[in-house]
Amino acid sequence: MTKALGRVVATERKPNTPHEFHFWTSLDSPVGIGTIVRVDGAHPVEGVIPRIYGIVVEGFSYTDLQTPMHDVLSHDGIPSNAGFAATERAEIRLYSAAVLRQIPEEPLQPVPMGEVFLAEERDVATALRMDSYLKDGANTGIPVGVYRAGATDSVIYLDADFLLGPEAAHLNISGMSGLATKTSAVEWLLSSLFAHFPESKGSVAAVCFNVKGPDLCFLDQPGTNLDDRDLDLYEKMGVKPGPFENVTYFAPYTAKGFGLNTLRSNEALMGNVKPLTWGLREVLQYAEVLLNKDDIDAKADALIDFITERVVDRRFEQDSILTRDHTVQSFGDLENWFKDLLRGMERANAESWRTHHIATIRKVRNRLSNISTRCAGLVTDTGDVSDLPFGSFEDRAVYVVDVATLEEDAQDLIFARIVSKLREHLERRDLGVKHLVVFVDELNKYAPNDGQDTYVRKMLLDIAERGRYLGLVLFSAQQFRSQVHRRVVGNSGTALYGRMDGDELATPGYSILSPATRTKLATLEKGQLMVRHPHFTQPIFVRFPRPAVMQGRDGAEKFPQAADVSLEHALYRSLRTVDPGVTVAWVRDLVALYDEGELIAARNAAMVAKPANMRGFFESRLRKKIPAQPAFNAGLTPRETIPARSLPDDDPYGL
Amino acid sequence: MGHRAGVISSAERIERGSWPGSAHEARRFILERLPGSCPVEGLSAEADRYGRAEEPAVLITPTIIEDGPFRAIRVAEVDSPRGGTGFTGFLDGTQKVEVLAHDNGIPILWATVSAAVRTRVDRRMIAWPGRNPIVRSAFYVPLKYVTNLKDDVRNHATTVDTSAASSADKVPSRHPAALREAAIKKIQYSRERAELELAEAWCASEPGVLYVDGSLTGSRLSSESSHAVGVVKSHNRIYADGEALDVLIGLRAGERTSVFRPPLETNRFSVASWYVRVRQAAGHDALFGLVRVEAALSTHVAARADEISRWIIAEGSPLALPDGRWDKMAYGIRDTEEFLRAIQ
Repeated sequence: MTKALGRVVATERKPNTPHEFHFWTSLDSPVGIGTIVRVDGAHPVEGVIPRIYGIVVEGFSYTDLQTPMHDVLSHDGIPSNAGFAATERAEIRLYSAAVLRQIPEEPLQPVPMGEVFLAEERDVATALRMDSYLKDGANTGIPVGVYRAGATDSVIYLDADFLLGPEAAHLNISGMSGLATKTSAVEWLLSSLFAHFPESKGSVAAVCFNVKGPDLCFLDQPGTNLDDRDLDLYEKMGVKPGPFENVTYFAPYTAKGFGLNTLRSNEALMGNVKPLTWGLREVLQYAEVLLNKDDIDAKADALIDFITERVVDRRFEQDSILTRDHTVQSFGDLENWFKDLLRGMERANAESWRTHHIATIRKVRNRLSNISTRCAGLVTDTGDVSDLPFGSFEDRAVYVVDVATLEEDAQDLIFARIVSKLREHLERRDLGVKHLVVFVDELNKYAPNDGQDTYVRKMLLDIAERGRYLGLVLFSAQQFRSQVHRRVVGNSGTALYGRMDGDELATPGYSILSPATRTKLATLEKGQLMVRHPHFTQPIFVRFPRPAVMQGRDGAEKFPQAADVSLEHALYRSLRTVDPGVTVAWVRDLVALYDEGELIAARNAAMVAKPANMRGFFESRLRKKIPAQPAFNAGLTPRETIPARSLPDDDPYGL
Repeated sequence: MGHRAGVISSAERIERGSWPGSAHEARRFILERLPGSCPVEGLSAEADRYGRAEEPAVLITPTIIEDGPFRAIRVAEVDSPRGGTGFTGFLDGTQKVEVLAHDNGIPILWATVSAAVRTRVDRRMIAWPGRNPIVRSAFYVPLKYVTNLKDDVRNHATTVDTSAASSADKVPSRHPAALREAAIKKIQYSRERAELELAEAWCASEPGVLYVDGSLTGSRLSSESSHAVGVVKSHNRIYADGEALDVLIGLRAGERTSVFRPPLETNRFSVASWYVRVRQAAGHDALFGLVRVEAALSTHVAARADEISRWIIAEGSPLALPDGRWDKMAYGIRDTEEFLRAIQ
């Protein structure tokens, strides 16, 4: 039997209520803000001794002094004299606790007087109603961290049904930047989710958008900074302290198109990095993302619809204006179509074509052509598509889309299209997994609570409000929760808070927290979180271990970004990932024969097709060119050629 | 009905014949057992003025037992940080008096006397584990003048007859004020007995020195023990006259007077006594910060007086504010009073 550490007290001025009570403790008790306690009532109610569980939300300390002046007088105005006083003044530690749970739950009464105990592990489970989802055979608990107070070390579980749906869903994390809270917490939670998500609930995967720096670029590499305390936490929570085993990275090419536009470009890590490229068809579906309202009036919108429906991917026959038939499959084809159309209209001195005014056609051409420039590296002129494996997502796999170094337009396009595709596939139940977590950082940028309504914000709202029915779950993070659209954060069943900025805590959204809880939030250590979850009637403070994956900064040091490479080197590196038989000499010959654009287009196509015969496929994508044959010496058989003289090292002609 | 199991109302307790536990219960109880009596409500605050019987203000010439004339002796520098102290426990008692009813003007009182010792561990005060605090409640009734009081109260072991003859063989008159005065003296005596009971228990068992708020002379054991020191804050009786009074009034902070022996009274025991000025009196009345100390007589009484005086001065920090007697009261005594208030 543990010893009581406090006693409930109530006065007329400070009475206990069904939702709050007060107790005092000895000066050396381990109680603090966030400590969970248990009150054992003294008298039975309907034959049952009431038990009340509460969490400390406020603390008070005072002495029997009536005014501070008395203390000044006590020590003759000299603070150091206090140390010589024979007796220390009587002092109290008085705490206010918010009720987590009362047993029996009915009749709901004010908290009675009684002894206060530090909650033990079993008490914590009862207090947080975790007992309802940690049953043998129906355990849906996902460890989020460990609650610590005194000798109690208790794992806090989230309910998978309320984290990934269908009861509630979504998770939102707030915290100051640079304190290893948001990204670390998500990495840890994904590890825990993959380790504990019940098989009976189906498969789960994650798509993470890496929006800044190298944060998520090394999820498949082991962490180097775990200490014994972290390992203890991993062991206690039953999670293997290792990196993610199945991670695939996606990144568009750089604007030049030689290499991938990602901080994870070190050659040693390229095995699971795949290009992300889209063509005209993929982009036109989401033109709204890239074209703002000023660009798209009703007339322009009609023309874009016409192009999407009637022009793209079908044979568009010659008419009185167009000089030839067109099959538009890429931005290049579309540009040729526009050119032919506009020349024809100029030739015919026509002001409109099929009800579309020439000015509208010029405007749409200008805006659409511009997309491939603005999103160079992502959008290809040739129409080659390299995409996430929609339809064959794997269980417990992480797909990281690195958009950290892209322009905002390209980021928005990537985000909008991928999430839309995920949603489509989940609706059809053919994504490959039953549940999908989408992690988006910097949510205050993508779903701000003010500013104009963007396509991306609409999509995030849609996920937040309807995603749980599909198994599409949003894990989002931001520095300032108050700046995020409240329907997005409001629909997050679970919320985690790291150390918060004082200004942020002063916003109305935090007014439900006591001043002491807000103070604790403002001073949280690394590795500490405040957790709100539908089962918990009050926020709980937990510790979580450092993620067992290499942190972005460490990874960037260990695997530095590849320097800008030549076209020859870039082709060699790319093609070798598909066919190790590719040689430098073969690539060099091709580079000498063909222009850059043609080679990059062929490379992109090869990376998508991943042909068994790489050389054959690659060469088939290039225009036929007959390389110069060495001259035969008269009188010699063709095989008896005279070897060419080697070039001098300092060949002044660059041959 | 409507009450928690195991808890009974005060009315039920009285019906079952339980002895009252509070003044409120006591009033209901006595009205049932003293037919025709009238309740007196709301006198608990007013009753404070009956809390202690005032002694007449007199000057008494003491017998000096320290070498030399009655003089001021410096024992400590109060401007410098206060020194150490040898007190390890503090004893105080309180009394709470209520006039419950009157029977043809005869006052019926209910009083609770209490006493406790608090010990100091690591500079913090805790209840003395050696003996529980004493809390005793009783009816104070002039039985001679109250004829129709039921026997269970009249014959109850705790009921105190305030019309019994005092030590001077004087039976108080039927004057209500005289009866009240007689009751207060009995209550005061009960409190003193409770205090001395604890003081004796301390002296018999503890190695440290007990700071007793009040006189030691009521107990032989306490008055002869080196483990108890009495500190008297009230000065209705001043043991100095003539030049000695001038010395006393002129005593400065950190000084004590010569040691003297107060005249022996009936049922009292002899002690060594002296005055100490704990705080500077400048700007205050003449008795500000002045206490009279009582300790066992010993052969080295002067050295002992110096030592104990220094301890008492050291106990002046922290101040016993907000108590109105803070100039004379040690913080340990204030703590004990607060403790008694909490448990009464």
